[in-house]
Amino acid sequence: MTIGIKELVFICVALLTTVPCLIVVFSRNILYSAFALFFTFLGTSGLYFFLDAEFLGITQVVVYIGGVSVLLLFAILLTKNINEIGKTNMMSAGRMALVSVGALALLGSFGYALSGTVWFHKDDGTYPATTINGLGDLLLGKYLLPFEVVSLLLLAVLVGSLVIARRSVK
Amino acid sequence: MFNMELTGITSYLIVSFILFLAGLLTVVSKRNIIGIFMGIELILNSAALNFAAFSRLTAHNLEGQMVSLFVIVLAAAEAAIALALLLAVYKRYHDISADNLTTLRL
Repeated sequence: MTIGIKELVFICVALLTTVPCLIVVFSRNILYSAFALFFTFLGTSGLYFFLDAEFLGITQVVVYIGGVSVLLLFAILLTKNINEIGKTNMMSAGRMALVSVGALALLGSFGYALSGTVWFHKDDGTYPATTINGLGDLLLGKYLLPFEVVSLLLLAVLVGSLVIARRSVK
Repeated sequence: MFNMELTGITSYLIVSFILFLAGLLTVVSKRNIIGIFMGIELILNSAALNFAAFSRLTAHNLEGQMVSLFVIVLAAAEAAIALALLLAVYKRYHDISADNLTTLRL
């Protein structure tokens, strides 16, 4: 295994993805958690670029960083008392201990599965140089019905979230 | 044990496993609903990353990326609805701690 510049960048991006996760889990300040989540999304986008999935990477930036993170910050600042922000994201120690045991079991089974698996490689597949053309063909060909269903879902979400969150008018 | 290159499928699986575990711990242990919601986002993110990694590194086609795309869209829809519900709950109870919201009555 040789460590070149590509591997170094990959390690940095993987660390950018995984280290803020721990802040999301263990921080007591929910604003810190939100900003850590922002960096996790950024790192995931970088990993998509490493996978030659540039459209997914850009979508990740636009949807998660531009949309979900901002929405999250809005929700935090609209619902919480800012002067006690230091203890807005408390954890339940009992449940944490319980799920830690489960997480350790999962970790063990994951390592076991990973060490014994030889991954199947599909021989006839050819990964295209640019993915956007292929994704467009798939989206308007094979996946046309899910595409239309998702567009209906997004319309329903748009209307529904406005109805749920509106101020009640007397 | 792992005779692999560093940017192979195993590294992506490990990264997304860490994302999943962090999401799981967050969902179960947080008291704040927004914190729980962050955990859900982490879990969805790890699933999408797995789909993209398998699509690129073992299947060599774009079908897995398609699934990732749908996961991202559904996560965004879920985020919008969840946060709207959160605002409605906060207006009613002035509290968004999951342990205190024990009644279904409006």
